[in-house]
Amino acid sequence: MLMCRDLARIASDYIDDELGTRQNLSVKVHLMMCKGCRTFIDNLRTSTELMTYHSSFKVDEDFLRRIDERVTDALKAHQSGKSNQD
Amino acid sequence: MGTAAHTETELSLVERMKEGDPSAYKHAVRHYSPSMLAVARFYLDHANADEVVQDCWVSVIDAIQKFEGRSGLKTWLHRIVANRCKNQIRSSSREVVTDFSDSLDPDLANRFKPSGRWKAPPQARFHESAEALMETEALNDCLDKHLSALPETQRSALMLYEAHQHASGEVCNILDVSASNLRVLLHRARQKVFLMVEAFQETGEC
Ligand SMILES: [Zn+2]
Repeated sequence: MLMCRDLARIASDYIDDELGTRQNLSVKVHLMMCKGCRTFIDNLRTSTELMTYHSSFKVDEDFLRRIDERVTDALKAHQSGKSNQD
Repeated sequence: MGTAAHTETELSLVERMKEGDPSAYKHAVRHYSPSMLAVARFYLDHANADEVVQDCWVSVIDAIQKFEGRSGLKTWLHRIVANRCKNQIRSSSREVVTDFSDSLDPDLANRFKPSGRWKAPPQARFHESAEALMETEALNDCLDKHLSALPETQRSALMLYEAHQHASGEVCNILDVSASNLRVLLHRARQKVFLMVEAFQETGEC
């Protein structure tokens, strides 16, 4: 029988609908009987959705400006390279 | 997404980049660099990842001329970053070490009895939807803090799959992991987010 810990191991696969038919069914049966796991699945799903709203990896402005500078230089070199060929 | 789903704005952005328009690059650098860093940090330490992303942007100036739009611009950029990282790793014979052995987070594993039942089950459902939760500024900050503490591999997988909505096949490609290992990375990262939000709801503190 599927225990709570087993279910916790495959919870993301359940949420993403990546389980086979049989495993999916045994999760569903377990969830009918187990409040702890129902809450766990609900909360894990909410946690997952949080990531969609959270655009992390805030990059610092200095880093972006350094890229701007290098791109600007490279664009200039590129342009003058082109006009030399013309 | 993995398919070539181009928006009008993306197409015109690509056109302007092909023409060498500096403001187009400025916009693109801000829009795409965060997820490009997520890719690079999967493979490399921070300093090297920063450098690779910078180098990639310079190389894009030439490469964009050959961009035909078979994939989206974001996917295309992510592949460039991944390839450059892989080359760098190959030349330094450094390997990405990741533990795929257990899909259960150790802190969550402690909450089960030896029998496999919950010892400390989650007590309450999170009060609100994800969208409403994100409006809590303190939680947002807390999430930032915890995400930056995640192992890079987990965080990159989470970013690309969840926040940037790449299809899983595409994430496997970019990060060079098997489908089953991607599942482990995602699940481990989600459990961390779950534990963080749970602690936050219970204590009101990060
Ligand atoms: Zn259970």
